[in-house]
Amino acid sequence: MTHEDVRHLLDDYVTGDLTEDAHGPVADHIAACEICRAEVDSLKGILARAADLPKSIDPPTEAWLDIRAAIERDKEAVATNQGITGRDFWRRPYALAAAVVLAAVLSSGATALYMRSRSGDENSSRSAAGTASEAGTPATLAAFTIEENTYLRNVAVLQDLLDQQEGALAPEIVAQLKASLRTIDEAILEARIALARDPANKMLIEMLSGTYRQKMDLMRRTAEMTRGS
Amino acid sequence: MKTSAVISDTIGPFPSTIGEEKAAALDYIRRAQSGDVDAFELLYREHSGRIYALCLRLKGGDSSDATELMQDVFVRAWRRLSTFRGDCAFSSWLHRLAVNTMLENARSDSRRIARVLPMDDTSRLAGAARSSGVELKMDMENAIASLPRGARLAFVLHDVEGYQHQEIAEQLSVSVGTVKAQLHRARRLLRERLER
Repeated sequence: MTHEDVRHLLDDYVTGDLTEDAHGPVADHIAACEICRAEVDSLKGILARAADLPKSIDPPTEAWLDIRAAIERDKEAVATNQGITGRDFWRRPYALAAAVVLAAVLSSGATALYMRSRSGDENSSRSAAGTASEAGTPATLAAFTIEENTYLRNVAVLQDLLDQQEGALAPEIVAQLKASLRTIDEAILEARIALARDPANKMLIEMLSGTYRQKMDLMRRTAEMTRGS
Repeated sequence: MKTSAVISDTIGPFPSTIGEEKAAALDYIRRAQSGDVDAFELLYREHSGRIYALCLRLKGGDSSDATELMQDVFVRAWRRLSTFRGDCAFSSWLHRLAVNTMLENARSDSRRIARVLPMDDTSRLAGAARSSGVELKMDMENAIASLPRGARLAFVLHDVEGYQHQEIAEQLSVSVGTVKAQLHRARRLLRERLER
């Protein structure tokens, strides 16, 4: 192993990422090479200083106030639409099925409300982000877990899109959307808790998968409204 | 739209299971998931220092950008609390949300002209260094802040935060080889700047 070969491996040597086969020859070279020894010492010094940096730094004291204000705005929007239901309702066995139906009804309602307020605009286009999966329901929890990661990624992308474009929608639609999403999220949470207790329950997997699809569909439809505005 | 930057919440150097969270933290999480903002504030108080330190370093020491990023992270965390499934520690979930948020914001920031580190940027890092009583740390923070973005991300995530090469590669949607190259570059630049 040449000096140049070893120099390319010094980072891995210092961080312990070298293979066993490579470690011996590299260590032998370092022991005999003053330049490489100095470089190893220098690298170790950098890593030690990095490890010694403070892990926590106090943020500006006023930072929380803006966060709280944003949260309160969200809560207000939801509160104006909470007459539909209460938490206890969603603890009942039919909560998931109801959430799925509600999502469809509310998303249709939001669509209708939007269409009434914006008659004549028929040019909404499909969002590139987060196209809902039309595939069948996964048969096992493992398969669902893989699918769920896709759902969560798509939901995150759609949520960001909606956050950015919120101003383009009528306030009543935004409020209705947030209330619907919160209801669906509660149903998802309840279902996940139930699934944790009963991982083999295919009905729960089907219901949870369906609820995710409804959530994505609702978000996608709303994003399409925004794109058409 | 690129989704690969949205990373799994089951990896990383933090407590790997919710079982490692304190009982009180679990209670705060559950209360916050039920809409209790006061409980969420307690979670903020507990985690904001670490998230802010990460944001500050990812943002090259710009305290204004770092504060904005941290606020964005916590507002998103509130909105997505229901997706926190408890199969990783809350701190780990938050940490990943911060990195994802930074990467998503970076795409929209890409048109911005790179800015020179203003005086204010180093003041908070300097304060943190002074408070820990080691002036050398300030040099290190400044040197990290001056790194090119790719090298800085790789260095902060690997050498400061303790992520593995593979994890960083997934987060940044690049190969492990690219991560290693960026790390090598970062360490070389830091040595040059610190040993001058």
